[in-house]
Amino acid sequence: MTHPTPIAPARPEVVSERLPTRRQAWIERATSTDHKSVGLMYIATSLAFLAVAAAELVLIRVQLIVPENTDIRPEIFDRIISTFGVTAVVLFAIPLALGLIGYLTPLQIGSRGVAFPRLNLLSFWLYVGGAVAIYGSFLWRPSESGVAALPPLSEKVFSNTHGVDAWIVGTALAVLGFVCFAVNMVVTLHNGRAPGMAWRRVPLFSWAAGVASHLLLVIGPVMLAALTMLFIDRHYGGVFFNPGEGGAPLLYEHLAWFFFTGAYALVVIVAGGVISDLLPSFARKPLFSHRGAMGSLLAIGVLGPLAWMQNMYSAPMGAGFEVFAMLIALALAIPIGLLIFNWIATVWDGALHTRAAPLFALGAISAMTIGLAGELAWSVIPVGWQIDNTTAAQGSTIAVLVGGGVLGGFAALHYWFPKLNGRLMGEGLGKVALGSILVGLYVYELMSFFAGVKGQPVDIYKFYGGTGLDGYNLAASIAAFVIVVGIVLELVNAAYSFGNGVRAGHDPWGAATLEWFTPSPPPAHNFDVLVDVRSAEPLYDIRRAIEERTRAWRPRRSPGDDDLPAPREPVAAEASSAEGGAGAGGGGPGGGDAGGDGSSGASVA
Amino acid sequence: MAPLRTTKTGPSASSASRPGTVRKALGSLAAACFALAALAAPAQATILGPRASHSPNAHDIRVSYWVALVVAALLIVVIHAALIVALVRFRARRGRSPRRLGARPRAFVRPGIPLAAIALGLFVFGIVMASKTRDVRATATGGLGAQSDLVAQVEGLSIPPDAKPLNINVIGQRWLWRFEYPGGRPGNRTFSYGQLVVPVDTTVLLHITSTDVTHRWFVPALGGQVDAVPGHSAETWLQADRVGTYEGQTTSYSGTSYATMRAWVKVVSPKQYTRFIQQKQKQLAAAQNFVQKQVQKKAAPPEALP
Repeated sequence: MTHPTPIAPARPEVVSERLPTRRQAWIERATSTDHKSVGLMYIATSLAFLAVAAAELVLIRVQLIVPENTDIRPEIFDRIISTFGVTAVVLFAIPLALGLIGYLTPLQIGSRGVAFPRLNLLSFWLYVGGAVAIYGSFLWRPSESGVAALPPLSEKVFSNTHGVDAWIVGTALAVLGFVCFAVNMVVTLHNGRAPGMAWRRVPLFSWAAGVASHLLLVIGPVMLAALTMLFIDRHYGGVFFNPGEGGAPLLYEHLAWFFFTGAYALVVIVAGGVISDLLPSFARKPLFSHRGAMGSLLAIGVLGPLAWMQNMYSAPMGAGFEVFAMLIALALAIPIGLLIFNWIATVWDGALHTRAAPLFALGAISAMTIGLAGELAWSVIPVGWQIDNTTAAQGSTIAVLVGGGVLGGFAALHYWFPKLNGRLMGEGLGKVALGSILVGLYVYELMSFFAGVKGQPVDIYKFYGGTGLDGYNLAASIAAFVIVVGIVLELVNAAYSFGNGVRAGHDPWGAATLEWFTPSPPPAHNFDVLVDVRSAEPLYDIRRAIEERTRAWRPRRSPGDDDLPAPREPVAAEASSAEGGAGAGGGGPGGGDAGGDGSSGASVA
Repeated sequence: MAPLRTTKTGPSASSASRPGTVRKALGSLAAACFALAALAAPAQATILGPRASHSPNAHDIRVSYWVALVVAALLIVVIHAALIVALVRFRARRGRSPRRLGARPRAFVRPGIPLAAIALGLFVFGIVMASKTRDVRATATGGLGAQSDLVAQVEGLSIPPDAKPLNINVIGQRWLWRFEYPGGRPGNRTFSYGQLVVPVDTTVLLHITSTDVTHRWFVPALGGQVDAVPGHSAETWLQADRVGTYEGQTTSYSGTSYATMRAWVKVVSPKQYTRFIQQKQKQLAAAQNFVQKQVQKKAAPPEALP
């Protein structure tokens, strides 16, 4: 074993720097490995697919507005629903979450970039490739095999079109992209955190990003395996899912549900991270329990995908499997309930500034609560036998996806829009959009619940009159249109504000996490200075340190009371308590309660 | 854009409602709702629930449904009440200052206890009700008795030895249901399409399968959903308590005409059922004779037949 001879560097070094050639803007954008550029492309593309999904929802609800409607032919309707499901989950909800994660997580953890920038870019283009494959099939004949393309229906015998192949390849490409993304994000989170940022100090959105990325690493390959097996079945004589040859269609159902249930959990987790980061900024107080929220998010990430068989109570599997699924699904109530409690307790006794962002967050909590409570009820086995695959179950799913994906996503957009491009999104339009989406969602959820318990199945291209379902479907259709109007308003709001929004400054919310420590939009290298993180609220610490250095000493204050007149004489009533301890807000609530963060109080005293 | 700020500080009137009393009140409320749900629930179908049940297993599903619904509704109401109070009472305004209040270690976990109790309660309840739904009842006195078919124990159902069930094969195919009645030689059994005729008060075992893609058998008044998977026989049962026709519809997407794949279960008296079967057998025999004659008349050589 010989070592290569080291070559002594020439001194002085003579190097001619190549001048960077400036390419066209779109090439720069498409090939930039900056995580912020990739994140922006993710967000923009996913929002475009939100618009597509909304259009598909309109078509579906137009067809179901009256009984035995003949507006849309059955096979066209089937193509729409087969694309709608994958658009809503794989092309919108997950990529929006990933876009926000990709943009913000490195900023939040004080990193100068991501671990594998090229892998990150590749993941985006794989996702776009998947979308192109799925929608490209509309030029010929798209899939008619249903939302999840369950075999045997998606086998070649029953679906002998290339639409199903396009669906399989498109979904697989997108999921492969998500797995690449997750690899990058997991490594970034493990290695890229700023000095001092222990796991317990990671902001909750980044924590949720970590949980979601690990989750994707588990569920993504499972879906890839299922799709690969289906593809082999269709084209290379495989019999994985072919019952005539000893295959098991149930196997695909297990694998696909594992992915979709995990994706569903992912949406909840990321929305949970957004809300947990956002509420403290607007309620002007720290999250009720940082560690509690971390534990809850982690528990949802672990339990969520394990509840996949909750969707399969009617399938022929042993009773023990059902019990397992019910156990996990019901156990999920604990972390989800604790998370919601945490959020309410954060707002409690705070001073909530009712801007659009926190209102969207509260709307998301409300919608997810309704949907998840429904899921809780349907996860009781006999109830599942009644409700599964009816519009009641679908209504819950939609409430959670719209609550987490759309409302949670818009909350995140409102909150971080100033970070993305230094401008604010329109407040008034945002609130109108929120009202429209929420009202529509409540009515839609209620109507699909009423219709579902009376037995209306999902995915039907028509329902029959005289069965008492007419009114419900009419109201559900109108409600769906109201939701879509809200979504369109908000998308218009985002598009308009991107170029014309009010300039926000670098730190419009007085938030406590590191992404606001850098200019908005951030420079390519994110941070000029890397800070030493000492708590879960690094920016709060920095502000306080600066104040203490630059001004005369005055009592420690909450981050919101900038205009508080500085040092005053202690009021007589409070003078008895420790002079520093009563300082939170100067004569605020009783001294004992204010000492929530006792260490700093000690230094003040 | 002005940064967020609270303008003035002031006394925060946070009279924290006594958690003990609240919890007690909620507990008793929940207990009352449970009792109400279990007692009154399946009595009549309302807007909030499925249509009336006409079979013991459908009845058990209704009971489970109402209890689960009340629990879910309770959770939704409590959480929304707290959300609204938090939003209204703790908005930023003059004189409100936020309290930087963190959780004491135990405080966070405490609400987990009632949640765990709810989850555990529903879990036990779900297991009990699921096994109850699967308990096949013996044929009642008014039913069609003395079936010659042996009672085979099938997976997923517990069948008493004196059940005297009527075994009917339910076969899903795109986009029709085929029903094969007992009696006759195998492969030459009496059958009907679309409408299943069963005798009242009689235990009927349905052996559900499919010949092409996965379908799902669901007649809400007579029981829960069961997948019809090709190459697999799934069992469910029903015992209709009243004469009438009950509608059902498949709930598993199966292709173009999936929405039209409905099924009707016509419940008739045992006498009418026997007559129906005899009539069907006669019709089938006549049809077979007719076909045979046609074939003989044409005198097609056997190898030309498909």
